[in-house]
Amino acid sequence: MRLPVLLAALVAVATCTETFVGHQVLRVVPKSDEELQKVQELQALEHLQLDFWLAPRGLGSPVDIRVPFPSLQPVKAHLEASGVSYSIMIEDVQALVDEEQTEMLRSSRRLPLDTNTFNYEAYHTLDEIYNFMDMLVAENPNLVSKLEIGRSTENRPLYVLKFSTGGTNRPAIWIDTGIHSREWVTQASGVWFARKIVQDHANNEGVASILETMDIFLEIVTNPDGFAFTHTKNRMWRKTRSKHSGSICVGVDPNRNWDAGFGEAGASGNPCSETYHGPYANSEPEVKSIVDFVKSHGNIKAFVSIHSYSQLLLYPYGYTNTPAPDQQELHELSAKAVAALSSLYGTKYTYGSIITTIYRASGGTIDWTYNQGIKYSFTFELRDTGRYGFLLPANQILPTAEETWLGLKVIMEHARANMY
Amino acid sequence: ELPPSHFAAARAAAVAMGYLRYRRGGPGRGLELRALRRARRQDIDDAGHKYYLELELEDVLDKGRTVNCTAEVLYHLGSKSTAPDVQATVQGELRSTEEADKEFYNRIRSLEKELVAENIPDSHGNVPLELEPLHLLAWAASGYVIWQNSTENTKFHLAQVKHVKQAKRSDEDLQFDYVLLLHEMVSQEVVPWEVTVLWHPRRGARVPRDRRQPGHA
Repeated sequence: MRLPVLLAALVAVATCTETFVGHQVLRVVPKSDEELQKVQELQALEHLQLDFWLAPRGLGSPVDIRVPFPSLQPVKAHLEASGVSYSIMIEDVQALVDEEQTEMLRSSRRLPLDTNTFNYEAYHTLDEIYNFMDMLVAENPNLVSKLEIGRSTENRPLYVLKFSTGGTNRPAIWIDTGIHSREWVTQASGVWFARKIVQDHANNEGVASILETMDIFLEIVTNPDGFAFTHTKNRMWRKTRSKHSGSICVGVDPNRNWDAGFGEAGASGNPCSETYHGPYANSEPEVKSIVDFVKSHGNIKAFVSIHSYSQLLLYPYGYTNTPAPDQQELHELSAKAVAALSSLYGTKYTYGSIITTIYRASGGTIDWTYNQGIKYSFTFELRDTGRYGFLLPANQILPTAEETWLGLKVIMEHARANMY
Repeated sequence: ELPPSHFAAARAAAVAMGYLRYRRGGPGRGLELRALRRARRQDIDDAGHKYYLELELEDVLDKGRTVNCTAEVLYHLGSKSTAPDVQATVQGELRSTEEADKEFYNRIRSLEKELVAENIPDSHGNVPLELEPLHLLAWAASGYVIWQNSTENTKFHLAQVKHVKQAKRSDEDLQFDYVLLLHEMVSQEVVPWEVTVLWHPRRGARVPRDRRQPGHA
C-alpha cells in the first residue's frame, strides 16, 4: 500500500539523517473497548518511539503505527498478549522509501537537453513549451528567431517564432495554435510544426523550397493565460483571462474579438458566456498584438488559425451569409488540402465556409484577416469528432500533427505558386 | 437535399448518434459516426423539421468494420421541452458484446467496495484500461441526455466523465451515478449533468434520472 504524501515526507527526512531500515507499519482495527485501550496504552510508551500515522479514533477505525525496528518485538508481544490482532501493512518502510525516491527522480520533469530529447508525444506545460522555443532558436540561429509581439492580460510574453532564410519583409505565412486554451492538441501540434520546419530546412526537403522565397511565422501558445489556467485550475477553459469592469465573470472569447462583424449575431454580449466578444474589438491583448503585427508586416499571404475539435477545414465567412469573393478558389484549395491530410491515416475531414459548416460566428480571426486582403485565410479544427474531444489522448498528437502538416503544406505551396 | 457538410445535417446526425448510443451502446460497445453520406430536410407544416439521414457507423472496439444506418430525426415545431423523435435502422450486424458484458457485469458485482472514479479521460486523454467500459457506458448514457435535450441550434458531445459512483442495488441491475460534462458546440459551453444509469447485460442501459447540475460556474 502506498501513501505518497507521508512517504515523500519521509524521503525528505531520509535524505538528511534518519533511516527507516527494518521499520514496519502495523494496522490494528480495535473491535472492543478493551482492544482500543490496549492500543491507546501504546501511545503513552514514549520510549518505543512509535509514530501513529492513523491515531486511535474509535471502534472499527483503523490505527496505523510505524514501529521502529527495536520496538517491533515488545509492541507485537503487547498486542498478542491481549489477543489484539494486527496486520503488517508495510514490511520494510525503508525499502518503500527507496522505491519512491527512485521513482520521483525518474519521473521528475527535468528539462530536456535539446529539441531531440524533447518528447513530442506528450502534452507540455507553458514553461516547457517556452523552453522548447528557446532551445530551437539556440540550435538554429540562422533560421529561427523569437519575437515578442506583446503581453497577455496577466503579463505573460506572447511569442512568435520566425523562420526565415533571409531577405527583407518577404511574403509570409502565419500559423497560430492554442488561441482557445483547452484545445491542447493544437499547441502540441504547433511544437511539432516548429521542429518539422527546421528538419525540412536541414534536409532540403518539404518546406525548404518555400523558405527560399517566403517566411513562416508560428505562434504556438496564442493564449498563454488560458493555457496556464487549463493546467492549474480548469482543463476546460477556453477564453482569455481578462477582467472587464462590471462583471464577476472572467475572460473573452479571442475568436469573437476581431474587427469583422464585431458584436453582431454569432457572439455573445454576456461576459459569462464562452463566446463573449468582449467590450470592443481588439480589447484582448492576445488579439491586438496579432492585429498590430499583421498590419505592420503588411506582406502576409496566408493565415491559418488552428483549433480543435471536429475535423474541419474552414474558410471565411462566419459573420455573414454573403460568400467570400474567392469562395470558389478557397473551396477547391480546401478539397486538395483535405485530400492530402486524409492520405496519411484516412482521417476524414469536412470543409466549407464557417457559416455553412459549423455556425454563424462574428468577430472571428480569419474573417478579419481575409478582409485585410489575406486571401488564403483558413481555420483548421483538428481531431477528433467527439469521442475524446478536447481530451485527445497524447498518443494521437503525432499522427494529428503529421497529417495536418500535409494539409498545411498544400495551402503554403498554393500561396507561393499564386502570389498576389 | 443538404450537403453532408452543412451544419444542420451534422446536428441532426449528432442527435441520431445520441439515440443510437443509448439504444445500442454500453460498456462493451461505443458507436461512432464514421461518415454522413446523405442528408435531406423536409419542412412539415404544423409539425416541425424532419431530417432523413444516411450514416456510416463504427464500433470503436471493432474498428475496420463499418455498418450503414438510416435515421430520421424530427425536431418538433417551436418546442423547447419536447425531445426530437428519432427512428434509426442499423443495416447489418454489430460485433457481439455478450462476452464483454458478462465479464464487466461479474467484475462489478464482485467488487467489495462501491466503485468510485473521476476525470475520465484525464487531462491528457488517458483512460485506464479497467475504466474503459465505464467510459463507454457514460457515452451511452450521455446519448440519452443528448437525444432528449437537442434542438436544431445545439450539438452536444460528451466532454468528460467528471465523477462516477456505483450504487449497489438489491436487484440485478448495476447502477452508476455519473456527473458528466457535456460540451455544446454552438454556445461552446461545457455543462455538468447528473445522470443515473441502470445497466444489465440483457436489458441494456436505462436512464431513470437526469438533471442539468444547478449552479454552473
